[in-house]
Amino acid sequence: MTGIDAATEKVARVKPPHRKGRAWRQIRDSRVLLLMCVPAVIFFLVFSYAPLPGSWIAFTNFNYRDGIFGSPFVGFKNFEFLIKSGQLWLLTRNTILYNLAFIVLGNILQIALAIMLNEIRMKYFKKITQAVMFLPYFISVVLVGVIAFNLLNYDTGALNALIEQTGGDPIKIYSTAGAWPIIIILVHLWQSTGYGSIVYFAAIMGIDRGLFEAAAIDGANAWQRIRYIILPSLKPTFIILLLFSLGGIMRGNFGLFWNLVGNNAALFQATDIIETSVYRMILAQNNFTSSTAVGLYQSLFGFALVMLANGIVRRINKDYALF
Amino acid sequence: MHSSDVGIRATDKTARIVTVTELVTTADGKGRRNNPPRRIKLDRSDWTLRTISYITVSLFALFCALPFVLILSASFSSESEIMKTGFGLLPKGFTFEAYSYIFKAPRQIIGSYAVTILMTVFGTAIGLLVISMTGYALFRQDFPFRNGISFFIYFTTLFSAGLAPTYLWIARDLGLRGSYLAVFLQLLMTPWLIILMKNFMRTVPYEIVESGKVDGAGDFRIFWQLSLPMMKPALATVGLFLALGYWNEWYLSSLYLGSTVEFKPLQYHLYNIINTANALKNSVAGSNVSWTELPSNTLKMASAVVATGPIVLLYPFVQKYFVSGITVGAVKG
Amino acid sequence: MNSTIRKAGVAFIALGLTAGTLAGCTAAEGGEEGGGDGGAPTEITMLVLGDKPTNGRLEAMLDELNKNLVEQANAKLDLFYVEWADWQTQYNVQLLSGDSSIDLITTATDWLFAWENAEKGAFLPLTEEMLQENAPKTWEQVGADDHWDLTKLDDGQIYFIPEDNYTQWTNHGFMYRGDWAKEAGFENGEIEKFEDFTTYFQWVKDNKPEAYPWDVSLTNEAALTGYLQGHTDFQTIQQISAGINYPFQTTEDDPYTVTSWYMEGDALIEAAELAKEWNEIGVWREDALNYDGQTREEFYAGLTGADQHHTQTFVTQIVDNMEKKQPGSDPKFFWWGKENGNYFRDIFTHGAMAVSANSQHPEKALQVYDLIRNDETDYMLLNFGIEGEDYVMDADGKLGYPEGYDSSTDALGSNFWAGRMDEYEPAKITDAPNKDEIYAALDADAKDYPYSTLIINKDMIDPTLAAMGGVLSEYIPQLQFGKFDDPAAAVAEMRQKLKDAGYEDARASIQADMDAWAEARDLK
Repeated sequence: MTGIDAATEKVARVKPPHRKGRAWRQIRDSRVLLLMCVPAVIFFLVFSYAPLPGSWIAFTNFNYRDGIFGSPFVGFKNFEFLIKSGQLWLLTRNTILYNLAFIVLGNILQIALAIMLNEIRMKYFKKITQAVMFLPYFISVVLVGVIAFNLLNYDTGALNALIEQTGGDPIKIYSTAGAWPIIIILVHLWQSTGYGSIVYFAAIMGIDRGLFEAAAIDGANAWQRIRYIILPSLKPTFIILLLFSLGGIMRGNFGLFWNLVGNNAALFQATDIIETSVYRMILAQNNFTSSTAVGLYQSLFGFALVMLANGIVRRINKDYALF
Repeated sequence: MHSSDVGIRATDKTARIVTVTELVTTADGKGRRNNPPRRIKLDRSDWTLRTISYITVSLFALFCALPFVLILSASFSSESEIMKTGFGLLPKGFTFEAYSYIFKAPRQIIGSYAVTILMTVFGTAIGLLVISMTGYALFRQDFPFRNGISFFIYFTTLFSAGLAPTYLWIARDLGLRGSYLAVFLQLLMTPWLIILMKNFMRTVPYEIVESGKVDGAGDFRIFWQLSLPMMKPALATVGLFLALGYWNEWYLSSLYLGSTVEFKPLQYHLYNIINTANALKNSVAGSNVSWTELPSNTLKMASAVVATGPIVLLYPFVQKYFVSGITVGAVKG
Repeated sequence: MNSTIRKAGVAFIALGLTAGTLAGCTAAEGGEEGGGDGGAPTEITMLVLGDKPTNGRLEAMLDELNKNLVEQANAKLDLFYVEWADWQTQYNVQLLSGDSSIDLITTATDWLFAWENAEKGAFLPLTEEMLQENAPKTWEQVGADDHWDLTKLDDGQIYFIPEDNYTQWTNHGFMYRGDWAKEAGFENGEIEKFEDFTTYFQWVKDNKPEAYPWDVSLTNEAALTGYLQGHTDFQTIQQISAGINYPFQTTEDDPYTVTSWYMEGDALIEAAELAKEWNEIGVWREDALNYDGQTREEFYAGLTGADQHHTQTFVTQIVDNMEKKQPGSDPKFFWWGKENGNYFRDIFTHGAMAVSANSQHPEKALQVYDLIRNDETDYMLLNFGIEGEDYVMDADGKLGYPEGYDSSTDALGSNFWAGRMDEYEPAKITDAPNKDEIYAALDADAKDYPYSTLIINKDMIDPTLAAMGGVLSEYIPQLQFGKFDDPAAAVAEMRQKLKDAGYEDARASIQADMDAWAEARDLK
């Protein structure tokens, strides 16, 4: 056991004489640490927990006079439209698959990018490229949709112009459902890779330089360096980010899908997610209850998944689990 | 960083001494690596990796920059040209028309910038303090409540109340409708950032904490004087994300501020410009409104440039904190 | 987790939820007390839609207006804006929150959720006594035409005041160029039938290569509904929408039987086939479904042969702009249902004013409303501004603008759309010169919307309507742009899916409401 673990064990094993005062003793002993957590705890109490009981609204026929808890109870009626639409399975499947692609591909690319950034030695090159890689994150999705249309449309799009110049036939991209998972994933990666690689880059910066030098002394080459030092040290970060993302596995990126696909029903089979479909269905309805109902559906799913995944990770290595 | 996590044999033979004083003095945050530059011979694999890295990073940077170049050039183009032939890499019919429209009411733009910058600076500072405190406490293995509080914080990402209850609570019950606080407070921290910070804490060896305790320092002093200085990359990362969160935000502004404040946060102000045209076009509402000069495509592009420009310059400043904080020493594990 | 920590975690969550529940039961915040009568003038705030103007003209106008209002009713008016970007969410959330600082609320039954918000309790029920005492002129005028019935819910109470003395035509149709139509062979450049547009579009395609025949963007059902209106006698029940479509109709022949032009008959298939033909000609872009351009601007630039909107837009903007930007283009308007008179006068609740249920001064609010609606000086100030600065009256008595006035920067933006009056609206120099003729032609054949007082109970059918909206949003866009290879098959598929979503149950429920309503009025 290394020194750290031994120290921890020692601290944890010290038992005060009486069981009754144990909790108070713990609070007293760790009072500074506890105090350091107080602002965050208050924050979440106020902004996240306090409104939570209001999600009861999903089970009522809400009206303003009676408020959330006074409005008549209607059971699961507000969830019905999801089932009646006949789309629930398709939407769930699409939402999850896209998110999985975003998470897996996204993280892999972010790690690769962080590793490569680490290799860049020219200072100005590094600064400029990193600043540039941030740009996509700032561009509003509305504009992304406009640019995408400009590039991909049949009549005036740059892509088709290029294809024609090289002697091919222009493609009707906006009518080809199969192309869109690729397009959407690419756009998402474009927007988020630069931004997300920062986390991994910072983690690489935190690796003890002595390890690298020891490895160099021992004659390890670049690939071994990556495989045996960098990747393992990024593992905890990766797992935590992964676990975190799982909680939101059922929540789609509305802005991205809505602005790229919009109302183009030809593409819905391949691109419709829960948020966009629900938006179309209840847009004109002024309906707060249904949207909360959908939110609950998404949350429950993510919750179950995360509890499961965290439990598994916990068994493998306690340290990597979220809680 | 536990040596047991690393599989290479070499590390087992390598030992490291970590002393408090050495660590504290070397992390001076000046952007220089303070370990003496080693003349390590680079072999072929290093060159290959480096070449691949340079090429890939350049390509990716181009990939990222390209759409922005389109936006930039469109912002300097004339609307009629764009209508006919779409976007291009170079401006078509060079004109400052779109920018002059945006800056026609300079007071609004300047006010928006001021509001956003103020919120970003103060929000980032306060948020960073709270997040790092919390992350530090939650990482301490000897803190009995760490798992309970971690779960408490994390749970909020799983369930959310939804639009109506949250709005009622914040706008009505807390009385924050029309106040910048409604936006400012809600962005101070997120569970993700706290957990990220907690994760970064593992780069600070426990020996530091131990030696601090041996010296009789309280938990907060250990945090403030010993751990924090070693966490520059972490602080920079979280600080950057916080700042970006404030800079980019428009949704909370549209919900809680709307037209009640004179100066809208920057992105919301620009979102208004971009979306007014769409909103009017697609609804019956348009019947009542006179459509004389609606924002055009070039205007949307110019708005994007105005909103993005400044923050891109933030990263180069922050970049110098992304240096390794831990150095090498001799052995005794 | 060992048990202490687990207990701690659970304790925290329990604490959080308890705090939340307690908070949720708190009463809403109280409002401030306003000035009483005889004391300081009461501040009345009116909610309007639109972007808040920043050029200072609104404030200048309000200063003038408030001088009058203080004298007349010891009150001052201020405006609260719900801005365009995201207006649906902002408007509803504003009403949801029970803001006690808002007194008057602009609303509408067809686009501003008037019925939904009335039912949910956002509006104060207005008693006869209240109206008679505080808004006597309005009470008289609306009552003279028996229009108060249009604003009552099932409980028989009045919930808003209709803008019923303002002639508006917001029926939709095509705007096209008379000069090109003439060259295409139409007499006088007039197109009289929906199908004739095929000829027009073909001509534009062949002769004007720089222009699209009809460059249309995003979802625009006109290619279908225009055909349906002109070839059948289906009439849409405006109270029920599913998504962005209106799927329930009756027929003129049988006005008390609920049906749907999406479900019954072959007209939909014919319309879809015509749309397909237009798609093949190349009337619109290949990717029209995603195209987001400013088609109106294109019309003004001669880059498209047609645009689609309603009469009001045509007479107040299109004609004026086309004269300036495309001289000689002779813009004309073909409205849906021109062939068979299957179109309707505007409903009187296309604009309406409600009093907020949380208003602190409802009586004073009504007094102010009565003044801005019926007092000519106040009316002119509020709607047009200060004479000489915001507008000028020319020799013919038409409303124009002063030298150097630029409507994109100098507009007043008071957006009062809930109480305009024909007698105070001057003719404007930007109006189409033949506006009166167009109105007369419309008036000659128009029908009156028969179901204004019909209230549909949507509680039970909301899920079905949402589901139907989903199905329609899957098929209608492609049908309307002719993107299906086999429209008939697509329509059959869509009909089946609508049935699966519960169309029949919804129809039956609406029919029941219709029957009850018709019987109560001895119509059946």
